[in-house]
Amino acid sequence: MKSKKSMVTELNQEIREILIEEGAEDIYKCFQCGKCTSICPWFQIEVFDFPAYTFSLKTAMGDMAASEDKFELEAEIDMIYRCVGCEACTDQCPHGISTPNILRAARRLLVDFGSYPDTLKSVVQKIHSDANPLGEPREKRADWANGLEIPSFSADLEFLYFTCCLTAYDPRMQKLSKATSFLLKKAGISFGILGEKESCCGEAIRRIGSESIFQEVSKANISNFENYLVKKVIVSSPHCYSTFKNEYPEFGAEIEVSHITEILFDSIERGTIIPNKEFNKKVVYHDPCDLGRKNNIYDEPRNVLKSIPGLELLEVEDFNRNLSVCCGAGSGGLWMEWDKDERIVNVRLKQLLETGADVIAVACPYCLQMFEETLKSMNSNVLVMDVTEILLESL
Amino acid sequence: MEIIVCIKRVPQTAEVAVKIDSTGKGIEKDRLTFDTNESDTYALEEAVLMKEKFGGNITVISLGDEDTEDTLRIALAKGADNAIRIKAEDFGVLDGFQTSQILQSAIKTLNYDVIFTGCISTDAAYSQIGVTLAELLEIPHASLVVNFDINNERADVQRELEGGLIEHLDISLPALFTIQTGINEPRYASLIKIRRATKKIIKVIGKDELQQDEFISNSTLDELFVPPISKQVEFLTGSVGESSAKLAGIFKEKGLI
Repeated sequence: MKSKKSMVTELNQEIREILIEEGAEDIYKCFQCGKCTSICPWFQIEVFDFPAYTFSLKTAMGDMAASEDKFELEAEIDMIYRCVGCEACTDQCPHGISTPNILRAARRLLVDFGSYPDTLKSVVQKIHSDANPLGEPREKRADWANGLEIPSFSADLEFLYFTCCLTAYDPRMQKLSKATSFLLKKAGISFGILGEKESCCGEAIRRIGSESIFQEVSKANISNFENYLVKKVIVSSPHCYSTFKNEYPEFGAEIEVSHITEILFDSIERGTIIPNKEFNKKVVYHDPCDLGRKNNIYDEPRNVLKSIPGLELLEVEDFNRNLSVCCGAGSGGLWMEWDKDERIVNVRLKQLLETGADVIAVACPYCLQMFEETLKSMNSNVLVMDVTEILLESL
Repeated sequence: MEIIVCIKRVPQTAEVAVKIDSTGKGIEKDRLTFDTNESDTYALEEAVLMKEKFGGNITVISLGDEDTEDTLRIALAKGADNAIRIKAEDFGVLDGFQTSQILQSAIKTLNYDVIFTGCISTDAAYSQIGVTLAELLEIPHASLVVNFDINNERADVQRELEGGLIEHLDISLPALFTIQTGINEPRYASLIKIRRATKKIIKVIGKDELQQDEFISNSTLDELFVPPISKQVEFLTGSVGESSAKLAGIFKEKGLI
């Protein structure tokens, strides 16, 4: 047993073993250098201590979610669910250790035993039942496309446009899917949608720790891709992108996935999209974790913005590209309620606003929602726009 | 103190679309997530709090299919010592009265001072299992319990009544209590208890082992249906000022303001 005053933690081999079984095998590579902690977005939250460097050692000691005391255990599990999975730590780690994966090993066990936040249980239930985290009916998934004359996907079309759940259902986010379909048509790209056959990619619930339901929804999507002979997929969300590209192959998916900003930059280079209307605003681009750091797509969204006449592109000096700070929505963060002064989104918004930009440009529905909702409470005049929305205004 | 907690594995339907299945007497469950019935989680927590205070053993018992063992294992990880599953697959469709009789035939052979159940299940919502079970076991009971303690080997209980009233009772043991949500804060399971729970053996009881052949039914389910929409929602359109004026007009018309 651990004494409150003692600095010595007793090894609990049983916990260590099950965490390694669940994917925490990287723990032994850690030599406690602390780079993960200083790059972690929580490091910039002064009022909450999130010592990322301790998680490998704690796991190696079997000291994760181990407390026998009800309230101490609650605090430990709260800590495990603070990680937003941005992988800034992994990017900086000399040994490439993924702290989010280590924490996810614990999350998987906790989810199986119903010991995780209720708000995330609700997300898991809704994705399982309704194929989206909003709990909207499956049959309404393609309502955003009503009147837009977008065909259902068939093998003679080159691309499947796979909408994110947010861009399919949320009235604000539907502007992104509408802008995307307009731009794809403008560029002469042949594409279709799967409508109500589309299920959430499952990225969020895999990060939350609900592995079995993730596998269920991912297999449903893969089976649809196979049945409809889908070869190439365009996505709006970097979360769908990362999951399709890096995780679906382990379940047999053979698809080529492109983020919409890649397609749009290619179209601009080919001259099939010509931005010719001035957009006379100062725009700062925020790198989404799943697009930039996890998939090295930094230049395409910037190049789309640079091609727009009148647009002045700004950068968050010191915190851009792979050093971009997460919006706080990853790994279930979108649904978590942390105290007002403990929100990562405030850290990132401060950096973005300090550039003096009129518009924050994003390429991820999660980031858009986090920034826009938070700005509403700040009475700010700064707009948050997706790259597709800005490009649409310049045509 | 020997404590028994009756729990049920139920589909989580509060926030998702629910569809009636082809029999017309159930719901489609393929895509639903299952978990411990909400008020049962409070019943289990109350048992764990009592065990922490007075010592003893907690036995969780559930009538359910094989998947119910996952639910029982969660209870073991959260503080129960023993778990029993009564094989639902040995029975056909059961009503609440039959379920109570089956639980009674399994529990009557066990030692207990206190039995906790949830006050209502979120799926069938009969609210009768706990009370009927107490009657069959011929022990006192209190339903909708919002405060529980034990003094001088008697239960000191508060029940929630309508109108914001609380009834304070002193009850001799052994007795059964149906627990209202909010009585406590159900706990998480620690990883070490999860590990140990995965290794525990769950006792499985079949119909043959219950020493009772007949379980009398007193109700049958005729139909499950979504009620017809009686009144449509009216959306007020226009600017904030216009729609507010329309709303105020409706309130006045109905004599609400």
